This record gives sequence, structure tokens and C-alpha cells, in this order.
Amino acid sequence: MDVTALQAIAANNDWMTIFPELLLGCVALALLVLEIVLPKRLHASLPGVALFGVLAILPSQVMSFWVGYIDGDSFNGLLHHSYEGQVMRVFFLLTAALVCLLGTITVARRKVAQTEFYHTVLIVTAAMMLLAQSNHFVMLFVALETVTVGFYILVSYFRGSARSLEAGLKYVIMGALSSAILLFGIVLLYGVAGNPSLPAHTTAAMNFDELAAFLSANPHHFLASVGIVLVLAGVAFKIGAFPFQIWVPDVYQGAPTPVTAFLAVGSKAAGFVVLLTLARTFAAYVWLTLPVLTVMAAATLLFGNLAALTQHNVKRLIGLSGVSHAGFLLLGVVSAATVPLGYGAVYFYLFAYLLASFAVFGVMAHVGGPDDADQELTHYAGLAKERPFLALVLAVGLGSLAGIPPLAGFMGKLFIFIATFRAGHYGLLAVAVIGVVISIYYYFGWIRAAFFADWNPAPAAPARPPVDLATRVVLGLLAAGTVALGFYQGPLGGWLSGR
Amino acid sequence: MGQILFTLFAFLTVIAAVGVVLNKNAVNAAMCFLLSLVGVAGLFVQLDAYLLAFVLLLVYAGAVVALFLFIIMLLDTQGGSPRRYSPVTIGASVAALALMLTGLGALLTRDRLVAPAIGSADGVGAALKPYAYQLFTTYLLPVQVMGFLLLVAMLGVIVLSRRLTNGEDSQ
Repeated sequence: MDVTALQAIAANNDWMTIFPELLLGCVALALLVLEIVLPKRLHASLPGVALFGVLAILPSQVMSFWVGYIDGDSFNGLLHHSYEGQVMRVFFLLTAALVCLLGTITVARRKVAQTEFYHTVLIVTAAMMLLAQSNHFVMLFVALETVTVGFYILVSYFRGSARSLEAGLKYVIMGALSSAILLFGIVLLYGVAGNPSLPAHTTAAMNFDELAAFLSANPHHFLASVGIVLVLAGVAFKIGAFPFQIWVPDVYQGAPTPVTAFLAVGSKAAGFVVLLTLARTFAAYVWLTLPVLTVMAAATLLFGNLAALTQHNVKRLIGLSGVSHAGFLLLGVVSAATVPLGYGAVYFYLFAYLLASFAVFGVMAHVGGPDDADQELTHYAGLAKERPFLALVLAVGLGSLAGIPPLAGFMGKLFIFIATFRAGHYGLLAVAVIGVVISIYYYFGWIRAAFFADWNPAPAAPARPPVDLATRVVLGLLAAGTVALGFYQGPLGGWLSGR
Repeated sequence: MGQILFTLFAFLTVIAAVGVVLNKNAVNAAMCFLLSLVGVAGLFVQLDAYLLAFVLLLVYAGAVVALFLFIIMLLDTQGGSPRRYSPVTIGASVAALALMLTGLGALLTRDRLVAPAIGSADGVGAALKPYAYQLFTTYLLPVQVMGFLLLVAMLGVIVLSRRLTNGEDSQ
């Protein structure tokens, strides 16, 4: 390699394209430095620094929509800056801001290290944003591992609680297993694509474009299809799709509430972005991926909804209902193979899910007592009388998750169903409708616990602290956004369908 | 000469690997694993993959086996009485045997792989220099992200394993 070639490669490392991620990394490092430098009495302001840091980065990210690097590659093809990638960067920044806000409620209540929580959340967010743009298996794996390692720490963050530690251990084992499966699949694909006796063989098979070209030249290679199935299985672990959902209930219950929200929204969305990118890369193997994803979607929908029916712990319930939401999103991925509307439907659903989930998690953070893992449905008794605002936000959030018109969740499900219908998967559509009917039952059980008095007196629920103004405003905005997006999808809908 | 060396290293690898499985003492098993890795590294050197051999020794022998030994010492495991075989163990052993027989059968019956032209392979695994060039030009971003990964992992270990203070609530 001569110097000019190296210089050309180095010139392609355009750091401005990942400006928001760099800023996030800087804010995360600044938090650690500030904790050392600032006197102890000012430490309480550090979560605010994280929160406003993220909020300050958001405009710079939104501005990048008008900068000319969309639909281009940078870092020698490691990153591809698609329109969807930009939308998802905004999504992850919003998620990070809301997780930090929940952290100021739940994490501040416990005597644990405070600053490191926000530091880890910001690094994980930056990694998710890189994940949404990666176009290369090396970049994808490094970013995914950063996300996963960050979550290992966050899940077991309340280390005084046995449940949090148990959740952390389970997540480490399952996460390591899924990474191993994913890596095995990647290695198989790389190995097959490097075989010099096959047509269109390449030594750069880690790059998605090169790999897609190789796969379309060899559309029925056995080892490549094994690799594809393994890669899909590795991603299915991250999104909690059947049969890789076994870690979900325990981990969701044991993790601190903000982390549960981060897992439910951020980690799932990251998994789906990766899945959509990979489904496009594996387009030549649609004969294989379509049946696999179809069966997975149907099983995930049914399992998530049926298992959520019997839950009394609200964190387990939201975890298992999250599995069923993964099923709905998989429906969108399946239909996206043939109907372009599927992509927009998945992204719209993710945004509706973000608004509704954080509304519910915000209420959970307030109602939850000192034991974060022990949040029962019975704790919600009389919420409507004591804190009518929280009960209203809860009802809007749960209604949207259940898909009640005219809320945003209904429109999200409707778009997914339309895409599925157009793609002609009528059997899947029937399963999905059954899933919606079941989900209404358990979501309304929760709403009933909050609004209607039970005849048998509830065991003592933890005291409910008053809600401060900032949280009130944010929860109100989330609920209002959920209602507004149900009536009017105009800007966001147009923005998501993009072209 | 090459043939003799290959046989030597191959036997070293296989015999040491058998030792890993058969040894009752965990420390001896870890040491056998180390020997087996040395054999594999020798095979890599014969294939002109010096960097790969070096990295294998550095990472596995230097880090992984040392970690194994630490954990063995922490857990203080003794040889112990031989365990009964559970159905899962037997099933896994049978599956492994079947895989090995399939591999052997394929090796004996199928044609040999076509050797690619020597010049066509880009020698990323052969020497340090092209590898380093790649690391600091093409893959600069993942290297930087790895830095953050290690930072987060280090912080996490400190946060999670620090001594519990009096005020910290536990359930």
C-alpha cells in the first residue's frame, strides 16, 4: 500500500457525518470530568447536564437532514447515510432524553452511583445511532456490542437488589449467546463469499453492498443460507422475537424502570433497524427469509399476547406485551419485502410506540415504590382519584399500545395491517387481529385497576410522591403527541415515507 | 522438513486437546489447552500467517488462559469424584461424534479444495504492517468505538463491584 492510497482512504473518514454521535460522546466524557471537578453540592445538576446535552444535540441532528451527505457512504463504506437512518437518529436521541428524565425520578431515589448511569445511557445511544447507519458487518458488530455491554451494566445497575442482579446475569448469558450466534452467521457468510470457486466471490464480503451482490449471484447456496438464518436468529434475540424471547420477562422486571423503558423502546428499535437493513441485504434469499420471518412473526404475536394475559407484575406485563409489539413490527418487516409501505409503517409504529411507552413508563416511575422490581397491578388502585393527571396519561398510553382509535397506536397498527394486506399475507393478518383482541383485555385490566375501585381492599400501595412540573409537562406532551398523531399523521407520515 | 513439522504440531495439538477433556484437575486441563494453542500457532506459522499465530498466542495464552487460571483459583475447585453422565451430556457427545465422523468422511471422499493463486490473497493475516494500515485507515471508526466500549465496560465493573456502602439500600 502506498501513501497516496492510504491518504485517499483517510480522506474518506468524514467525521462531520457523525457529528451528533461525536457530541454525545463528548457530553458523556464531560459528565465524568465534571463529577471529578465540581464540588459535591453541585453533583445533583449532572443529570440535567446530560438531559440538556441531548436536547441541544437534537437540533444539530435535525439540521443534518439538509446537509448534502444523505444517500452517500462515508468511512470507506462502513456507514451509509440513508434517510431512514437520519430519522432513527432523531428517534434514539428522543429516547435518550426521555430515559435521562426517567432516571432523574427512579435512579435518584436510590443510593447508587448517579453520573455513570447517564454516561452509559449516552454512550449506548451514540452506538445505537451508529448502528442505524452501519453498512458493514464490522461496524455493525462493534456498535451492537457497545449497546449490549452498556445494557449489561444498566440492567444490573441497582446492584443492591437481588432481582436486578439476577436480571443482569440472565441478560449477560443470553446476550453473549446471541452475539455468538450472530458472529457465527457473519463468519459463515464471509467465508462463503470468499470462496474463489464461486461466481462473484469477493474478499470484502463484510460490506453489505458487496455481500448483496455476491448473494444475488448465488441465490441457493446452502452455507450462505445457514449463515443468513444464524444472523437473523442473533438479531431476533435482541428484539425478543419468539423463540428467543425467554430472557424478556425476568430482565424487564429486574432492570431499573428507566432501563426497562430503554430496552423496550431503544433496543427494540435498534434491532428492527438492523433487521430492515439486513432484509434488504439478503433480498436474493427472500425464499428463505420470508417464511422464517413469517413464522417468527405469527409465533411472537401469539406468544406475547397469551403470556401477558396472566401477569400481575406490571413490568413483566409490559415486557411480554413488548414481545407482541415486536410481532406487529415483524409483520411490517415481512410485508416490506414486497410492499414499500411496509418500511414507513414500521418507522411510524416505532414512533407511536415511543410516545405511548414513555407515557406509561413515566407513570410507572412515579407509582413504583422503593422496590423497583415489585410493581403490581394492585398498586394502581385508586390512582384516578389520588392523581387524576397520571391516570389520564396512563389511560392514553395504554389505549395507544392496545390500538384504540383515534390514538397513534391505532394508526400504527392500521398502517402495518394495510401493508400486510397489500402484500397478501392474509393468514398473518388474521393472527394479528386475534393478537389485538387479546391485548385489549390485559391493557384494559390495567386501566380498570387504575380507574375503578376493586371490591377487595388492595394491599398497601407505596406512597405516591407529587409530580413535579417538568415531568408533568413532558408526560402531558407525550400524551398529547399520542392523541395528535392519531388524528393527523401529515408531517411525520410524509417525513417517514420520505420519497 | 515441512511435513515433519506439520505432523509434529498436529500431533501436539490433538494430544493436548485430548488432555484438556480427560484431565480431572482443572489447572492441568487449562495447561493442556495452552499447549494445544501452541500447536495451532505452530500450524499458522507454517501457513505464513505469522500475525495470526502471534495474536493467537498473545490473546489466548496471555489473556484467556490466564483468566481461566484466575477463575479456577477463585473457585478453588478440587478434582472431585467423577460425575454421572446426564442425558444432555450423552446427547451432546453423540452429536459431536457424529459431526466429527461426518467431517472425516467428507475429508476422505471429497475432492480437495482448489488452491487459489498465491498472489490473489491479500495478506492481512500475514504481517503486522498491512493489518495496522487497515486498522488506522479503513477501520478507524470501529477502533474508536471500541475505545468507548472498553471505557463503558471498565466503568461498569467499577460501579457494579464496588464495596456496598452503608447507605446503599439492598433487598
